[in-house]
Formats: sequence, C-alpha cells, structure tokens
Amino acid sequence: MYFVPLEQDVLSLELDDSFSDLYLHKDPGSVFLAAKALMDIQRRHGYIPRIVGKGDNARRLADLLLRMRKELDAEESSGLTDHSVRGILPSASVESLIIIDRDVDFGSALLTQLTYEGLIDETVGIKHNQADVDTSIVGPTPVPQAQESSKAPQQTSKQGQKRKIQLDASDQLFSQLRDANFAIVGDILNKVARRLETEYETRHSAKTTSELREFVNKLPTYQLEHQSLRVHTNLAEEIMKNTRSDIFRKILEVQQNNAAGADPTYHHDAVEELIARDVPLKSVLRLLCLESCMSGGLRPRELENFKRQIVQAYGYQHLLTFHALEKMELLQSRASTATMLLPATGAQTGTRTNYNYLRKNLRLVVEEVSEKDPSDVAYVYSGFAPLSIRLVQCVLQKQYTLSLIRGGSASTTPSPASIASPGWLGFEDLVKNARGATFSIVQKGDDKAVRARQTLSGNNATKTVYVFFLGGITFTEIAALRFIAAQEAPRRRIVICTTSLINGDRMMDAAIEGKNFAKTD
Amino acid sequence: MDAAPMAPSNPLANWERLGDSFYRKVPIYDAVFDEDLELDNYILAGAPYGGALALHRDESKPMRFRDAHTARSSIDIYSCSGKPINQINWEHGAVRGLGWSDKEELLVITEDGTVRRYFGLHGDFTTFSLGNGAEEYGVRACRFWTSGFVALLSNNQLIAVSGYEEPRPKLLAPCPEGEVSSWSLIPPSYTLSRSVEVLLAVDKTVYMVDPTEAEDKVLQNGPFKHASVSPTGRFVALFTAEGKVWVVSSDFQSKYSEYDPESRVTPRSVEWCGDDAVIISWEDEIHLIGPNGVAARYYYDGTVHVVPEFDGVRLITNDTCEFLHKVSDVTQEIFRLGSTSPASVLLDCIDLLEKKSPKADENIQRIRASLPEAVDACVKAAGHEFDTYWQKRLLKAASFGKSVLDLYNSDEFVEMTEKLRVLTAVRDFQIGLPISYEEYMRLTPERLIDRLINRHEYLLAIRISEYLQVAADRIYVHWASQKVKVSTVDDEAVCKLIVKRLEGKPGISFELIAQAAYDEGRSHLATSLLNHEPRAGKQVPLLLTMEEDEIALDKAIESGDDDLVNFVLLHLKTKLPLSSFFRMINTRPMASALVETNARVDDTELLKDLYYQDDRPIDGSNVLLAEALDKTDLMRKTETVGLATRLLADSKDPTVVLQQKLLTEASQLLKIQDGLDKDLADRTEFLGLSLNETVYRLIRSGYGKRAHKLQGEFKMPDKTYWWLRLRALVAKRDWGELEELARAKKSPIGWEPFYNEILGAGNTKLASLFVPKCNNLPVADKVDMWVKCGMVVKAGEEAFRAKDVNTLELLRARASGPAASEVERMINQLRPRK
Repeated sequence: MYFVPLEQDVLSLELDDSFSDLYLHKDPGSVFLAAKALMDIQRRHGYIPRIVGKGDNARRLADLLLRMRKELDAEESSGLTDHSVRGILPSASVESLIIIDRDVDFGSALLTQLTYEGLIDETVGIKHNQADVDTSIVGPTPVPQAQESSKAPQQTSKQGQKRKIQLDASDQLFSQLRDANFAIVGDILNKVARRLETEYETRHSAKTTSELREFVNKLPTYQLEHQSLRVHTNLAEEIMKNTRSDIFRKILEVQQNNAAGADPTYHHDAVEELIARDVPLKSVLRLLCLESCMSGGLRPRELENFKRQIVQAYGYQHLLTFHALEKMELLQSRASTATMLLPATGAQTGTRTNYNYLRKNLRLVVEEVSEKDPSDVAYVYSGFAPLSIRLVQCVLQKQYTLSLIRGGSASTTPSPASIASPGWLGFEDLVKNARGATFSIVQKGDDKAVRARQTLSGNNATKTVYVFFLGGITFTEIAALRFIAAQEAPRRRIVICTTSLINGDRMMDAAIEGKNFAKTD
Repeated sequence: MDAAPMAPSNPLANWERLGDSFYRKVPIYDAVFDEDLELDNYILAGAPYGGALALHRDESKPMRFRDAHTARSSIDIYSCSGKPINQINWEHGAVRGLGWSDKEELLVITEDGTVRRYFGLHGDFTTFSLGNGAEEYGVRACRFWTSGFVALLSNNQLIAVSGYEEPRPKLLAPCPEGEVSSWSLIPPSYTLSRSVEVLLAVDKTVYMVDPTEAEDKVLQNGPFKHASVSPTGRFVALFTAEGKVWVVSSDFQSKYSEYDPESRVTPRSVEWCGDDAVIISWEDEIHLIGPNGVAARYYYDGTVHVVPEFDGVRLITNDTCEFLHKVSDVTQEIFRLGSTSPASVLLDCIDLLEKKSPKADENIQRIRASLPEAVDACVKAAGHEFDTYWQKRLLKAASFGKSVLDLYNSDEFVEMTEKLRVLTAVRDFQIGLPISYEEYMRLTPERLIDRLINRHEYLLAIRISEYLQVAADRIYVHWASQKVKVSTVDDEAVCKLIVKRLEGKPGISFELIAQAAYDEGRSHLATSLLNHEPRAGKQVPLLLTMEEDEIALDKAIESGDDDLVNFVLLHLKTKLPLSSFFRMINTRPMASALVETNARVDDTELLKDLYYQDDRPIDGSNVLLAEALDKTDLMRKTETVGLATRLLADSKDPTVVLQQKLLTEASQLLKIQDGLDKDLADRTEFLGLSLNETVYRLIRSGYGKRAHKLQGEFKMPDKTYWWLRLRALVAKRDWGELEELARAKKSPIGWEPFYNEILGAGNTKLASLFVPKCNNLPVADKVDMWVKCGMVVKAGEEAFRAKDVNTLELLRARASGPAASEVERMINQLRPRK
C-alpha cells in the first residue's frame, strides 16, 4: 500500500471508503493500510522519532506502527547481505508524526469550506485533483492548435457536457488562489487579469527585434496563464452565484452560529424551512449533525421532530440514514450524552469532543481575523479555527497557542520552547476534552548511532513533520496546515498525509441510504 | 585419523599416470568401520558431495549369525569417517532401492513400490507409493540421480519420479520383453528432452527409454553385464559379453575406447570417475581405465565399495575412506616432476626463502613477467589440496608472490583462505564430510550448513554461518525444534530456555518451533511459543490448526489486518455452531463489525439471526427495511415493511416507538400512493415518492383537496404544508390560486417567502401584492422589495412613511418620468419648510 502524492506536501491513500469503513462499519482496515504506508516511509527514512496523536483510531495506528516495527525486525533475516532492510534507525530528518483521528473533530469538517479550493470541492467536487465542471461554465476543452480548425464546429459547448479541470500546483494561478478565503479570490483574479493585460500590451512597446523575440518567447506561458485565468474567473463566478443564493446564506448563517456556540434552537425554524423547501438532504443533515457535534446532541423531542420531518420530506428509507448517522455518532440525542455537558469534570472525558469547553480554551472563534492578510488559521472558515488544526498547533506552535489562550498578543515567532517540550506537554488537560485517546510515543533506537548521526547532520537541518489525518481531511484544513507550514518554514517542513479527502457532503454520503421505495424495474 | 599429519607428505604420493593426465588417490580417513562389519555383505549407498553412507545388509548373501540383535534388519547411516549417525530399524520388507538425493535425503524403495523418504538423517520420513502396477509386479531395482529416481519393475516397466516435494510417479514408455542384464539412466538435466532417459540392456542390445518411446540402439555385443553413464551424460561405459569395457558416446554413434580387464570374473560394478575415466571394481580390486584404454590397477585387502562423485569416486573399505580423482591441471603444473612452470618456481621460492637463500629473489625476478598467473595458480592449487600442510605452503607462496607485485587483487586469495577454513572444519573426522573444493562450490555454503544441521552440529553450523555471514536463523530454529522434541522437562522451562537462547536473534520464526512442538503433541508449549512470534500472519494459521480459535481470533485482531481477521472469521463461521460463533464475536467489536459488514452484502439471514440473538430490534428491523427497498413488487414491499414494524412491537423505548410509528406511516403512504396511481394516473407516478413530494405533486396537478387530506392524515406541520403549496403553485403558475391565498390573514411561514418565490418566477405584479403584508420587516427591506417589483413610487411611499429622506433621494436617482416627480414631491414634503 502506498501513498499517492497529490501535491508536494499532500500524500493521500485515496481510500474513498475509509470514512464509512472507520466510523460506520467500524472496520479498521484503512488504519492497517495507513500503517503499511507509513511503514514504507519509515523504511526509507528511518523510524519517526516521535509519534503524537489524538483519537482512538490514531492510537490504534500508532500501536500498529510499533507492532509492525517489531514484525519487521523479525522479518529481516540475519543475513547481512541485504542491507536495505537491516537496522533501521530513528530518522534524523524527520521530527515527528502527528496523527489526528477524524472523529476527534467531526464538527469542523461539517462546516462549509470557505477557501477557494474548498468551495470548488463543495460545489462541483474534486476527485484526484480533478474537478468535473460543466462546459457551459468553463467552456469546452481546449483543442490542440493543429486540430482546432477542423474540429472547432463540433466543439460548440453542448449543455451538460463535462470537462475535467486539473487542479494542482502545475497551475500557477490556482496555487495562488486555492488556499485563499473566497472573499478575496475576486481581488486576486482582478489583479492577475490586469497584470496579464499590461504584459500583453508590452508588444506595442517592443521596438527592437530582441524585445519582440522576448515577447514571443513568453507568449506560450502567457496563453497558458490566460487560459487558466478564464477558467478560474468563470468558476469563481459560478461559485459566487451559489454563495449569493438565499439558501446558501441561510445554511452558512446556521453553521456560523453553531460554530460560534450560539443557542442552536434559534435556528431550528430555519432548518425546518430548508427541509420544506426541499434543499438537498445532505445540506440539512450536515446542519443537524453539526449541531449535534458542537453542542453534544439534540434534545430528544427535537431530534424526533426532525426525524419525522425529514423522512416525510425525503422518504422513509432515510430511517436507515438516521440509523447510520447515530452509529457514526454524528447525530445523537442529548439523553445519551447528558453527562458530557459538564465541562472538564473529567468523569467521562474522551468519549466525546467538548466543543463548548475547547471553543473557549483553545480560542476556536477568532472574530477579528482578516481574510486578506490572515494572522490565524481561523481565516479558512472566516472566523472559526478548526479544532483539528488547533490540536496540531498545540504540538507544533505551543508558544503561539498559549498566547492565544491567554488572550495576549499573538506572536507568531517560533520559540525554542516548542522544541524543548515535545508532544502534548502543556496542553494535556485541554486535550483531554477532545474525544479519544491522547498519546505521545518516542521510538528509540540505538542511542550511539543516533547521536553519531546527529553530530553528522547537525541540528539546523529542516526537519519534516508528518501530519496524518486518519479518516480524511478537508481542503480547508490543508489550507490551514499550509498556513502553519509557512510560519514554520525554515525549521520545519509539514507533510500532510491522509486516508482520503473528504468534506461534509461526502461524510453524509456515507450514511445516506441511496435506495427508495419507488419500483425498481 | 587426522587429515593433517604433522610431517609433510610427498605431494606426488599416490599419483598415477593415465595417458596424458594424472590421477591421485587421497586417503582421507582411516579406521572407518568396525573390523567385524563384513562390508561384502552390505549394500552401500553414499550421498553425493561427501555425504552420509547408508548400509543395508544384502539379503541375497549368507550372513554369519551372531545374536538376535544383528539378525534384525536395519539401515545404518554413517558419516564417511565411519561415525554412526543413525540406525533405522527395518521391518518393511525387501529393499529394492537405496539411494540419496543431493539434499541428503535417504530414499528406500521396497519391493511393493513403497517409497520412504528420510529427511534430516534422523528418521523423520514421508512416504508415497509408486503405483502404476509396482505393487503387482514388484520393484526389481532402482537407479538414482540428484533429485529423482527410476524404478525398474519385474515386467520391465520403468517408473520415474522426478522431485520429492510433490512426487508424481510417471510411467516411461513400455519396453520390450526380455532379460534386463543391466541398466542406467541419464539425469534430465543432461538430456535433450529434459526428461530422464533410461538405458536398458536387454538381450544383445541396449534400449534408450524416455517417457514417449523405447528406441533400440541395435548393438550386437550384449548381453551387457554393466552399463554406466558418465556424470555429464556424454559417455556410456558398457561391459560386454566378452568381458570387455567399452566407452561409447551416449547416442551410441561412436566408440571411444575398449579395455580388456583380463579377468574371467564379471566385475561387481562399473562406475565413472569424473568424466574421463571408468572404474571397474571387483571385491578387492579396482581398475581405473583412462582414455584410449590405458589402466591403472589398485588392490585391496578387503572389500571395497565405490561411491561415485561428480569429480571423482570415494573408495570405502573397512579401513579407509579414499578419494580418487583426476589431478587438476594447476596442481599438475606445480608438482609434476621437473616442472618449471612459474607457479612451481614460486613454490620453490618458499623453500629458498626459509633457507634465507638469495636465490629466492633471483627466481622471483626470473618469473616476474608471469608472476600474477603464478600467484593465481598457487591459490587455485591450494583449493584442490586435501593436506593442510600443502594448502598452507601454496598459500604462503601465493602470499609471497603477491607481496612482490605492485597491484594484485587479493579477493580470491582471501576467499580461498575462508573456503579452506570451512573445508578443513567439515572434513574433520568428527564431522566426516570429505567434500572436495569442487563439490563445495557446487553445493554452496547454505546447503553445507544444512548438512551440518542434519547432523545436529549446531555450534559448527553457527560458527560457519557467522564466519561466512550467512543467515543463521534456520540453525537456531532447527535447534529449538529439536530441543522441543527431545527435552523432557516441563513446557514452561523449555519455552523459557528457548526464548532466552534466541533472544535478540533476528529472523527467528517461532511459528516453525511452535509447529514442531504441536507435531510433538505439546500444544500448550506450542501456544506459549507462538506468543513470541511477532508476525500475526504466521501465528494465526497455526493457532487455527491447533484449534485455539479464540486465541487465533484475538491475535488476528491485534494485528489490525482485516484480511487476516476475515480469514479467521470465515473459518470459525463454517466450523462453529451459530450461537457459539456469535458468542465469540460478541465481546470483540472489530470482529462483530466485520461480520456485520460482510453479512450485509451477502448473508442478511445471518445478520437477522445475529440481531435477534443480541436483542437489537432496531438493527433487525432495519435489515428488513433495507430488504424492502430491494423488492420490486409492491405487495412484497409492504409485507416486508410490515415485518420490520412487527419486530419493534413490544418495546417501550421511545426511539423504538418512533421508529415503529414511522414504519407504519411508510406502509400507509405506499398504500395511498398506489391508490393515487390508480385513480389519477395510469402509470406509477406517485409510488415511492416521499410524503412531501406527493403533496407537492398533487397540488401541482391541481388535486389540492387530496393534498390537504394527506396533510391531515400524516400530521404534516402547517409550515411545511404551506411551503409545499407555495412552491407547487408557483411551479404550476397558478397565479389565481396564489392571489386567493394572499387574501388570507395569516400565513404560518410569513409572507416574505411568497414574495420571493413569485418574484423568482417573474410575476412582479403578483409579488408586489405581498409586500404590504410583510409587516415585521424593516423599512429599508420593504423599499428594496418594492423596487425589485419595479414600483418606485410605492417604495417612495414606504420611505415617506418612515420619513427617510436619504432613501428617497436614492430612489429619485433611479426613478424616471412621472415616478421621479412623485418621489420629488415626497422629498419636498418631508423637507422642513422654511
């Protein structure tokens, strides 16, 4: 089992079913595959010196890694001939592996992603770095020049035809846009358009032949950029059409309020209206699940009410859907989780993420974050920092996170303290309020060899941190991690690993019953 | 006894000239067998590469009766130095074939065609039968090659077995009738057809038999008493009726030499010594026949047995074990009398050097030009030497020559010293593996170590493997397995001992040791040993065969490998009664999760049983519900939903009650939809829709009353109903009905949605009707609403009422014609008059 590199810094196992396997079927097969893939990395780069993690499946993954290391030791025959597998030492270039179980933070993933790439994913869907977009939006696939003349007549954009758009770092413009909040995408597009135009205008000012040649040389890149500009402008407009709609706004409002911790019952009317207006079931369920996750379940009476309305509106087969959601612990009745409402009692910590407590103590809500020039990862959800990312920050950016909690001015300068206190140190009590096991394991090796290597390589080299999202990661979280990576840039390199890319819709898809009562012939 | 006598022996001792080349007989061991052992009465088979010897009393010869003990039949296994390794009591009938494979497995074939393959020299064996009529006709004799053998039946049928791992006895082509006077075979690796070929001397001629045909070679000089094929299968030695030895090519096209042993007695055997010489032997006499019929003769005091090897023969008597082989060219070049080859000079230099004679340097300078070759030759010759004195001498010469050279790659020299150390160690009479350098190269170090393991020489095996850097885990595992078999102390102690000894050794497979313990019947020990096996993939299958089901399941779960868990579950499901199977998975969440997931796809009945047994009514009813969705027929659908409902009947749990209620609704709705389809449409239009969709469609198709009735029946909230009505009417463009609605005093969803939906449908006039009804909206919004309907004046009035001059001014800018002046008027009215 190997990782598929989606980007320079993103490795995915592309296990589309991993989310439903893990949380619905409770089949930890993908944990095993993840362990295999990580073992492959360890075989090449040496044992990861420290494994930090949160969540029960994360714990399982770490245990499997330890176990596989033992198995590998047994596997390698005493033959000294095969050096490649022998005597793997703790790696000198890797600092740690941070494993975050998706079920620690379902809430963030249920929110509508507000970065550009995230919104593309929400509206048209991205699969393996590609989005299938209707040709009526982005225009037909460009044909190679030679054939253009002959085929042009047939290529008139037919309705309903899909065109695959490659979305990765090979597209310069897209790399600028992808992780930005959608609010400023328009500005960036404008700026780029203007720059391209002025550049194109230089052809008039080109006087000497060499200047002209220079311009002609640049022409292909220019055309490429122009093409991508056109695609993204159209795409952005399409998304804008969606985000301006009444329904989108209503959904977003409910989400934002849930994230901010306002009393969710206020919005029940809005949700009911959405049901009556027949918006896609996914959107409605996302809202209910979000509420359930963020505030520890719905009141039994209200849940019953919603259940009734939804099966009436979308069909009785969705009794199965609800059952699945309950099994995934995405949508629960408050009765079963009553004990969890008291913050930090320590009685049953670890069975459910206490957003109320963490929102306050990890400052998940950052109202004043600027979307244009963000100072905190909260920009990805326009003011809400995903808990999963905050947890990563607890490990990597201790100083900053502490300053956030104390409410002092946020200093992003990395301090050596974060290296001195590894793992969850300093945040143990806080982290207990999130669901699942918390652990920090040191993989030891032959001490002498390690020290020898350290002296050889020196301590100033860039160290890699693997951040593994078990059960899937959203594009917004990737954006947030890249934001952190940029801050940590010279000292650390962050590689994001995941079982698959998910979003709220895909989470719901895992649960939603696809069949209905209509006659199937 | 020692292979390395202190005094230097003459290197030319026992050399015998045979045509152009020399042969030498190297004594390796003496005092091999007990004097009382009458070798003459025994069949002797030697394993290739200096392996063990198997002795079995020749039943056809009379034997002096000593006591009951010796009278008992047995097969005795000795090392070449005469050290007894094992004795196999034999009570399985007449032995018709006794031979070895190159893995040192002893093969014993009895008259009835049963083959016993003894591996590991210590009595472990597997058995198989030749079949093909062997039982009926009886086996007469067998001939072996390194990985197989051919059996000759008394009806002249030939049965070939190639490979012992999965033996498949195969009948060769049928042969002619007649007395088989002698026979031999060509191993598959040396035939064109790549399958074994047999030479069968029948009457006066020889037949070549392979799987497809028996070809008569049309010879006249038979019957041949002996036929023997050379190690490479190129030549055949035949002993003719006239008592002569012929060497012919194996296709019988050309005859190379003829030799007359001048003896009336037929020799006991005719064998090849390497590929160049034939050995014929009588009881105490041996003739070595070289090319062109030249021969050397050796005489013995007692019986001598000839064991052919690839590069020579071993000669076994009661007193000695000798190796007779052709002197290699390099050795000959160095030691031959009067040799002036550079290598020979180099060797002499050592003598001179020891005498501190300046001639040493002089000689070296003389052969300077060919010194590298001389060094190479010395290194090679050292390998062929059995005497450690001369090995050292030659290496010393090589080392001296090397030191004079500026550049010389010493790898071969170093390797040779390593190889010689190993050879010396295994040739020791205690071990008794008189393997030649050439054979060692063919055997490879790994298999040499295997042979040591077979002899339980673990310490030497480990030393050699460490010295040669070969994997040693097999040795440890074999040791431990042996320990498990023979030790009599209790399980705990054995386990502890083994674990302690093997701690920290990489690559140890506890699975194999555990298997050995299990085979020995010590299953408790096997289980505790398996605990030390880190690889679950290895633990689990053995645990399953040991019927340690629960432990196997737990180990599989620990490994996290879901394929492995599924494997165990599948095994258990077929093996255990359902109730115990459920009990077993019940306490293990991962197991039950996997069972559920798999059953959901292909075995819903199992799932129902599971949920019933676990008392999970909702799960059980959900299975039925899912089944209902798959049914195509309406009757069946409602029936299954009914079943699902009934499962939930007795519970008081509110969730269950709700579920039950909703399921009842579901079948109710289906019934109503069926009715609607029949009444209103001639096809299925409503069936399968959700309640909301049904209501929406009814209204859109103008059946408002029926829709209203449905709302009541299903207690649909008013708000939902109103929304549906609004959307359906807008979709139907039923403006009249909407206008009607506008007259109502109150709407549960407010009036704003009406405005929005109707405006969205493009009817601004109707939309404007609803603006005044939106009382609770702020003025600014209402102004906006009017504007969207294109009614600037109305918007103005709204603003006017709120006394909002700014808005009015904005409106004025947008208005035109009469509207503009109207707005202007309002602004003026609001402006404070001065």
